[in-house]
Amino acid sequence: MRSPIPRTAPAGSVRTGGVSLTVRVARVSFRVRPRPITVALAGLGLLALLMALSVGRGDFPIGVGDVFRTLLGGEENRFVVMELRLPRALTGALVGAALGLSGAIAQAVARNPLASPDVLGVTSGASVAVVLVMITGGGYGGVSGLIATLGVPFAGLAGGLVAGIGVYLLAWRHGLDGYRLVLVGIGVTSIAANVKWWLLTIGDVDQASRAMVWITGSLNGRGWEHVRPVALALMLLIPLTLLGAHKLEALRLGDDSARGLGLRVDLARSLLVLAAVALAAVATASAGPVEFVALAAPQIALRLCGSTRPPLVGSLVVGAVLTVGADLIARTAFGGVELPVGVVTAVLGAPFLIYLLVRSRRKAT
Amino acid sequence: MASLTARDLRLGYGDRIVVDGLSLDLGDAGVTAIIGPNGCGKSTLLRALGRLLKPHAGRVLLDGDDIAKVPTREVAKRLAILPQAPQAPEGLTVADLVTRGRHPHQSWYRQWSSSDEGAVADALAKTGLLELADRPLDELSGGQRQRAWISMALAQDTGLLLLDEPTTFLDLAHQIEVLELIRRLHADHGRTVVMVLHDLNLAARYADRLVAMRDGRVAASGAPAEVLTVELLAEVFGLDAKIITDPVSGGPLVVPLGGARSATARPPDGS
Repeated sequence: MRSPIPRTAPAGSVRTGGVSLTVRVARVSFRVRPRPITVALAGLGLLALLMALSVGRGDFPIGVGDVFRTLLGGEENRFVVMELRLPRALTGALVGAALGLSGAIAQAVARNPLASPDVLGVTSGASVAVVLVMITGGGYGGVSGLIATLGVPFAGLAGGLVAGIGVYLLAWRHGLDGYRLVLVGIGVTSIAANVKWWLLTIGDVDQASRAMVWITGSLNGRGWEHVRPVALALMLLIPLTLLGAHKLEALRLGDDSARGLGLRVDLARSLLVLAAVALAAVATASAGPVEFVALAAPQIALRLCGSTRPPLVGSLVVGAVLTVGADLIARTAFGGVELPVGVVTAVLGAPFLIYLLVRSRRKAT
Repeated sequence: MASLTARDLRLGYGDRIVVDGLSLDLGDAGVTAIIGPNGCGKSTLLRALGRLLKPHAGRVLLDGDDIAKVPTREVAKRLAILPQAPQAPEGLTVADLVTRGRHPHQSWYRQWSSSDEGAVADALAKTGLLELADRPLDELSGGQRQRAWISMALAQDTGLLLLDEPTTFLDLAHQIEVLELIRRLHADHGRTVVMVLHDLNLAARYADRLVAMRDGRVAASGAPAEVLTVELLAEVFGLDAKIITDPVSGGPLVVPLGGARSATARPPDGS
């Protein structure tokens, strides 16, 4: 005797996102909650608008309508839009998406809202590697063309991966504890920060100042050659991550419960963390460390979607919106001065980090 | 009928061996309660039986197959284990939690089949939680929360249920609520249950069979009346106790003598 499950939540229940729809075709079945979908669609609309605004801004202003006309095939302003400005907006959106998704995975796996690639050493590891490459002669307009285009992104990727995986391994002790991960991450981050400053101090002034721009996180001068690697990495990593999403649900019940449910906990978690680290490293490699997006986007998406863990798709969209929005502010809010996007995200993100810290301490006591 | 057998198990954490040379047959026993003093290795044994802990030596056989060699997902379709004091993420609802029990039956493209839906509804109904399905766990009483976790294990749809101290942190009324539920799971739904319990009298009352452990080995095993003897309590728990007949169930009831011993157990010498 099996009674039907009440599929729709009664009025007043908002915690789970309320109503859900069941989709079943042959052996394929899904349960969909409309609220996250609405959030994602609204976010994509907002993203398109922000990107158009961003593309329209510059020494030669173009209206939003004209931007869309050009994107849909119009010949007017084609070079300015397609070659000069769109790559920057696209890089921003892709980098933000990667950071948002990366943060969502990290926070869900660690069961801790403070776990994000910023805190887990990925961005600082990338910074050290990039600064090292720039100081020792690579860098933009440096010795060789190949190092200029490949050296910095590759160094960022490698540094981020090494630091992120290092933190994960150091935090491992018969399993993974969210707080331990965060603490080890903070330790490694501060070591990396000091190495970075030391490198900047001993480096040549010119190189060092170029490196400074990079380590604040900047979307300045991004062309299609910056868009392609991020886009490629995302096309690979996003589907892989979303396929593993249902494992997150079991993982969040704790190691023993997840094992009891038949999940290969260590394997699933390692793959998910690896995906998160790779996403953040790719993003950092192409735009520098754009701070706090990976931390804030999942928490904002969580609240917008009314879910119990950071929603993956929602965090991805919110991350893109935050980054493009912050870049727009960085370029327009200060008159003639263009700030690196990382400055804006850091200024906006720091209070948010404090809010999370205060909140989690209250919960703990 | 699901069967679970331990063969020459040696269990421990690192160099510390907790259980050594333990063999036990848990097939067809209805409800089994593992009892024993703190640190005797009963939770360790249960974790090994549920393949949460890899044995240093020996094997656990599930329906005759070495549990370490069966894919963990397949194990999860035959055996459900509930760890001690499990923690749910903040805000998770009862229905969400019970739905997790379907994990071994799901995959990335099959996330909510009609059998998932049926099993979840069924598990909620058996544990009396249909009314509370949309409530977050953190708003429930301890007993309701424990019922929700048991409901998750039920949704796994396994013949075998392993429960590690399902009544910890519950007051007596809620302990009874949970144990009555466990009793029904066997009586009405044919599940085989193995649980670790602290309270001897509740174990005697709700289990068909007791396994008493001391220092990592089985000291006695059998029906409650056979296991709970004055001699065994002295040997296993170092407890002086009197065994009387439970006026309600007719089974054994342990009455510890403790400090009262001097007044009642010693014959009055008249001075």
